[in-house]
Amino acid sequence: MAALILPATLLVLLLLVAPLALLLRISLNEYSPTQLMVEALSPANYLRAVADPYYQEVMATTMTVALSCTLLALLLGLAPAYWLARMESRWKSLAMILTLFPLLVGNVVRAAGWMALLGRDGAINAALQGLGLSGEPLTLLYTRGAVIAGILAVVAPYMILTLAAVIEGIPRQVEEAAANLGAGPLTAFRRVVLPLAAPGVAAGCVLVFILCMNAYATPVLLGGPQFKMMAPAVYDQFVKGTNWPFGAALAFLLLAVTLTLTVIGGAMLGRRTR
Amino acid sequence: MMQDEPTRPAAMRLTRRSTLAAALTAGLPGLARAQSGQVVVGTWGGDYAELLAGHIDRPLLRPQGVEVVQDVGPQDPRKAKLIAERQSRRGSMDVCCLSDIDMYTMAQQGVFEPATDAGVPNLARAIPTLKRDYSVPHIYSAKVILYNPAKVSAPPQGYADLWDPKYRGRVGLVDLLYLQNIESAALAGGGSQSDYEPGKRKLMELRSLDAKVYPSNEALAAGLKSEEVWLTIMWLARGFMWKKAGIPVEHAVPAEGATSICFEMSVPKNARNRDGAMAYLNAALDPRAQTAFADRMGYAPTVTDAVLPPDLARQISLTPEQQARLRAPDYDYIARNQAALVDFWNKEFKR
Repeated sequence: MAALILPATLLVLLLLVAPLALLLRISLNEYSPTQLMVEALSPANYLRAVADPYYQEVMATTMTVALSCTLLALLLGLAPAYWLARMESRWKSLAMILTLFPLLVGNVVRAAGWMALLGRDGAINAALQGLGLSGEPLTLLYTRGAVIAGILAVVAPYMILTLAAVIEGIPRQVEEAAANLGAGPLTAFRRVVLPLAAPGVAAGCVLVFILCMNAYATPVLLGGPQFKMMAPAVYDQFVKGTNWPFGAALAFLLLAVTLTLTVIGGAMLGRRTR
Repeated sequence: MMQDEPTRPAAMRLTRRSTLAAALTAGLPGLARAQSGQVVVGTWGGDYAELLAGHIDRPLLRPQGVEVVQDVGPQDPRKAKLIAERQSRRGSMDVCCLSDIDMYTMAQQGVFEPATDAGVPNLARAIPTLKRDYSVPHIYSAKVILYNPAKVSAPPQGYADLWDPKYRGRVGLVDLLYLQNIESAALAGGGSQSDYEPGKRKLMELRSLDAKVYPSNEALAAGLKSEEVWLTIMWLARGFMWKKAGIPVEHAVPAEGATSICFEMSVPKNARNRDGAMAYLNAALDPRAQTAFADRMGYAPTVTDAVLPPDLARQISLTPEQQARLRAPDYDYIARNQAALVDFWNKEFKR
C-alpha cells in the first residue's frame, strides 16, 4: 500500500513543498537596490512586515473582508443549500448547474461586469439618476463594499454546494420526527438539521475563508488603487518593487495567519455545533 | 516596478504555431540552433507585438532565415523571469523588451550582452542621448501635460500649474506612473531628476487639492473622456492615441523640461541564439520598421534616418528647442531610491 501512494507523495513534495521551502529561504535573504537579493539568514523582513503599521492595516483589511465574506456567504447560502438538497424535481441538476454558473466566468471577466454595474457611468448610477433618486453619481466602485460584493459572488457557489452535499446526507426522517414531536420548520432546522450539518458548515467556511484571504483579481479591480489586501501587496513587492525577500516574508505571514485562523475557526465551529 | 506599457493591454496571443515552437524549444534544450534559426522575443502584446511581427519579424528577419517566436506577456513577469533565470546557462528569451527604467535595473544585475555598433550596425544612427551600452532604444516619447482645452482655458506652462487651486479635484494621476508623478512633482517643487525629495511634499499638497488616482490608463482615459478630470501627466504618444480616439485632450510640454520614456531591447547573456538576437536588434532600428510604430502608436523613431510625414511628426515629436531640453530620467537615482519611493506613494500619498 505504501508503495502505491509513494509516487503521489513525491509529486506533492516536489510541486508544493519544494517551492514553499525555496520561498522560505528567500524570505530570510536581504534586499539590496543594486543586487536585488543578498544571501542572508535574517528575520528582518518578518520583523519589518509585522511592525509596519501599513502592513498591519493591509492584514486587518484582508481579515475583515475575508470574515465578512465568509459570514455573508454562510447566511445567504444556507437557504439555497437546503432548498437544493431537498429538491426532488427533474430540474435539480439544472439548479446545480445554475449555482455553479458564476464559476464558469473568469474572475477578471466577472470583475469587469461589476465595474460596468458600479462605475460612475455604470448601470446602477444611470438608473438612480434616471429615476431622479440621486443627483451626483454615487461612488460605488473602488470601495470596500464593491470588493466584498465581488468576492461574495465568487465564493457563494462553493459555500452552497458544500452545505447542500452535507444536508443531502441528513435523512429526511429526522426532520419528520422533529415535526412529529411538535417542532416547527424553523425549530427543526435550527435544532436538528443545522447541528447535523455542522461538518458541512465548518468545511464550507474554511474553504471560503481561505479563498477570500487569497483573493487577488477582485480587490485589485474593484478596490481601486487605494484599497489593499495581502495577495496584491505580495505581488507588488515581487514584481513592482523587485523585492523578493520582503514579498516572500509577506506571503509566509499571509499563509501563517490564514492557517491559524482556519484552525481556530474550524475548532470553534466544530465544538459549538456538536 | 511596472512603469508603463507601450500599448494597450491585449489578450495573450498564443498561436498554435508559437505554442508548438515554444514547446519544442523547451523540450529539446540540447538542440543546437544554427546561426539563423529561431529567436524568442519577450514582448508586450497588442499593437506592439503585431507591429513587431508585421514590420520586423516577417519582412526583415524571415528573409535572413530567422524565425521569430513571440513570448507575449506584461513587463513585470518578464522581469521576474530574467531574475529567476540569471543563474541558468540557457535562458528562455533571446531578446527582451523592457522600458528604460526597468532595463537599467536589470542591466545592473549583469544579465545583458553589451550592445555595440559592431554587433548592431544600425545603432550608429541612433539618437545619441538614447543610446545605452546594454540595450538598443526602440521607440521613445516624452512626458507631457495633457489638458482638456474646453475646461482649461490657458494651456498649462509647466507642471506647477497643476497645483493651481482652480483645478481642485480636476487633476487625475495614474497609479502605475507613480515614479513619473513623483518626478513631475519634484520638478515643480524645486527638486531635480536626481532629487525627488521635494516632490513628496508637493504631492501631499496635490493630495489635499483632491487629486484623483486612477488604477489604469484605461480608467484615466474614461475619466478624461467624461470630463471628471481635466489635467494629467502622461506620455505624448498616449495623448496622441487618446486624441485620435476622441478623448478631449491637448498636450503641453512642461517648462521644467520634458523627460523621455524609451522602450528598449536587450539580449540576455544566456540567450540561446545570440547572433540571431543581434540581427533582431539591428532590424528593429531599420527605418522602415521604425516609421510603422510612429504611425500606429505615436512613438517617435529612435534613429536619425527614419523620416516621418510632416503632419505626424508635428503631433508626436518635440520642437528642436524642446528636444534639446529632453532628458532621460536619472536611472541610477531611481534604482537606489525606488523602494522608498514606492513606499511613499503607497503608504502616504495614496492613503
